[in-house]
Amino acid sequence: MANLKETFLSPILKGNPITVLVLGICSSLAVTVELKGALVMALSVTAVTALSSLVCSLLRNTIPSRVRIIVQLVVVAMMVILVDQLLKAFEATYAIDKSLSVYIGLIITNCIVMGRIEAYALGNKPLPSLVDGFANGLGYGLILVIVAFVRELLGSGTLFGFQVIPQFCYDLGYVNNGLVILPPFALIFIGCIIWIHRSFDKDLQEK
Amino acid sequence: MNTNSNTYTVIYTALVVVVVAALLAFVSQSLKANQAANEKAETIGQILNAAQFNLSEVNGNAATIQFFKENISEIQLVNTNGEVCGALSTENAEVLSTSDLKKQNYAIAGKGGEVALPVYNFSNGVSVLAVYGQGLWGPVWGYIAFKQGTTDIVGAYFDHASETPGLGGKIKDDPSFRAQFVGKAVDYSAEKPFDIVKGGAKGEANAIDAITGATMTSKYLNISINNWLEAYKAFLSSEKSCCQHECCGDCCTECTECTEGCCENKTEEE
Repeated sequence: MANLKETFLSPILKGNPITVLVLGICSSLAVTVELKGALVMALSVTAVTALSSLVCSLLRNTIPSRVRIIVQLVVVAMMVILVDQLLKAFEATYAIDKSLSVYIGLIITNCIVMGRIEAYALGNKPLPSLVDGFANGLGYGLILVIVAFVRELLGSGTLFGFQVIPQFCYDLGYVNNGLVILPPFALIFIGCIIWIHRSFDKDLQEK
Repeated sequence: MNTNSNTYTVIYTALVVVVVAALLAFVSQSLKANQAANEKAETIGQILNAAQFNLSEVNGNAATIQFFKENISEIQLVNTNGEVCGALSTENAEVLSTSDLKKQNYAIAGKGGEVALPVYNFSNGVSVLAVYGQGLWGPVWGYIAFKQGTTDIVGAYFDHASETPGLGGKIKDDPSFRAQFVGKAVDYSAEKPFDIVKGGAKGEANAIDAITGATMTSKYLNISINNWLEAYKAFLSSEKSCCQHECCGDCCTECTECTEGCCENKTEEE
């Protein structure tokens, strides 16, 4: 059990896929303009990493090693298409799926997914693999939501589409920051998160 | 068992692919109805958007369809001669889906099929026409709203399947792009009835600015719009005769003089 807990907590804090492994940067710049989209993306990636890690782990002893990448790819692609189809089928998520456009389909190219299968799921039992995939998805999602929170608040003055910065601030001369909406700010902000994370965690600092 | 033998590898991969394909086909079939309903509501939302209805209070598929039913007066299908050749049920809020528009696009190009282009007439005096065509990476389509019986544009809305987000995707995402259409007019005497100009329009009544960084998407959208406007030509220009005077407002009756209550004063046009 202690091991499972470690497997679960490590990707969220110490081995966070974005801030430590620096994986999945591309999508985290693209989908973090709004909290809603970031949350759906985070949940989608979590579902895909968790389930494809589980399936690949169940199949790990049968997969021919020469074609293992292809088999992993087929499994991941299947999960991504399932997520996309499900998002399209529900009224509440249809518009979000449209606004995330290509990025849902591009989950398959997210290095976290294939990386965790190759590095962990193929060598471990199904339950730890499921936990590992799930936790990596959450670690990714955590950073996504933090970045999206700041970007939506400063860039649009809203959270989840609701106005949170009151009108009188605008009347007094406050304006939404246009730079925050653009991807470069997301990169700068993620850089700051990495900086803060490293300054608190001595193990991450190079000598 | 030797998992590295050639026979095993071939059979294994074939099996995996077949199982995955079967599963995806099953899921796709079972979710099809829901997805189609969402797509229909989205199309209706886009048509309403083009017609400049305020949809901020309208939430959800059912509400959008209800709003459409309340405001639509007639849905006609017209051919390239400008003749009405059919109608869609307003009661069931029937609209042509993007795949229907694709078929029409083939028909316009003379690649088979009957031309029956949609005209959505709303009770606020706006007619919405559709456009469809090839974009840069995939299809682009949209709706252009005209003041009924004129070639004056009152609004537009565009969508795309896979244009580059942030560049070509702006035809949908950038409200200032579609806002340019408002107040413009289609001019059939010009070389191009409507023009999206790279480098900026020079204030022409029938031209707007192209999108910076999306030259190809702008170009293809321009071609699509003009193809469809050409197909709508007979319909749009025949209707134009019925309401030339500003005083007629939103009504669509024949009149030549601007007098009070001019719409009752019907005479032969010009």
